Amino acid sequence: MEIEDLRNLWKRQATGFEPHDEAQLAAMIRRSSSGIVSRLKRSVWFELAFTIVAGIALLVYALTLPSGGLKWISIAIIITFFGYCVYYIKKLALLHKFDRGDSDINANLTRLIASLKSYLRFYRRSYTVLYPVYFILGLLFGALERNFDAFYARITQPSVAITLLGTALLLFVAGTWFTRWYLRKLYGNHLERLENLLRDLNQD
Amino acid sequence: MTRDEETFLNLIKAHQGLIHKVCIMYENDRERRNDLFQEIVLQLWKSFPGFRGDSKITTWMYRIALNTAISGYRKQSRDIPTEDLHEAHHNIGDHHDGAGNEEDLQRLQWAIRQLSEIERAMIMMALDEIPYEEIAETMGITQNNVRVRMNRIREKLRKLLGA
Repeated sequence: MEIEDLRNLWKRQATGFEPHDEAQLAAMIRRSSSGIVSRLKRSVWFELAFTIVAGIALLVYALTLPSGGLKWISIAIIITFFGYCVYYIKKLALLHKFDRGDSDINANLTRLIASLKSYLRFYRRSYTVLYPVYFILGLLFGALERNFDAFYARITQPSVAITLLGTALLLFVAGTWFTRWYLRKLYGNHLERLENLLRDLNQD
Repeated sequence: MTRDEETFLNLIKAHQGLIHKVCIMYENDRERRNDLFQEIVLQLWKSFPGFRGDSKITTWMYRIALNTAISGYRKQSRDIPTEDLHEAHHNIGDHHDGAGNEEDLQRLQWAIRQLSEIERAMIMMALDEIPYEEIAETMGITQNNVRVRMNRIREKLRKLLGA
């Protein structure tokens, strides 16, 4: 069996499919990509738009409120929303790096691996920061709900403070572990697959 | 329809066999092949403004199509079931009738699917008579590396096809 025999066979399969006409092909280029990166981008755009709209609505509502606990809670949520907007924009910028598949396969795989790793790193770090933020917000809401002085006096009691710190630590460790597990489940196999492909491509 | 769209669609119409071959080699399921076909056409369209004709159109198409097929994220495993063609009682070239040729083609497709995704890309281009220089350029490796890999791939195919 020589390569020429295989080529002759190979050429024949070009006739073994139903060709698409111009209208079908034109419809294909007008569709949105079904690739995972495009779907992720669409979902992040949606979340960003939702956060902005909800943030503006909350701001308008907060401005009508008299000074007090509810107003401060609204402002704290608006600040969190702002943080989320920064997070979504950075996420979009990272997802944008996944595009441009017109380089050679080696360069493309190398770029994809680096992009995916930096995307996952950012995801992990964001959630690592987010858990303490939620915890502090929880404390703040607690302080506003009760009288601030009474709340302070209560949380500075050694037993309460230790329980609070222990819970915070536990939530932080569990949250970080869950984020790592979730990311590994979502993207771990894909990253491993890309690394194996690159290894295979570069073997002597 | 813009002039660019018209030029692009004519190109795809003329070379869609290449995209079909990539889809057949990288997806087993008919529906997923259609999805991959559409995705490749879309990626080609996105990259079309950057195509300046420095390389042959087929080389450019292979580069985009293979990048989409190989590195595209899939939720499910894309391992192609290895239907047991080992047990078939003939080798390629044993017969000369039409049905035999069809069977030979299926055996060849099966054998190529047993290769790694990288090897599949290389043999596909070689079978489409893309010169080693362009295969090296598409894969991003040296020509010498292509030569060595192609010898190994040929050897693997020989064993798989029992020829």
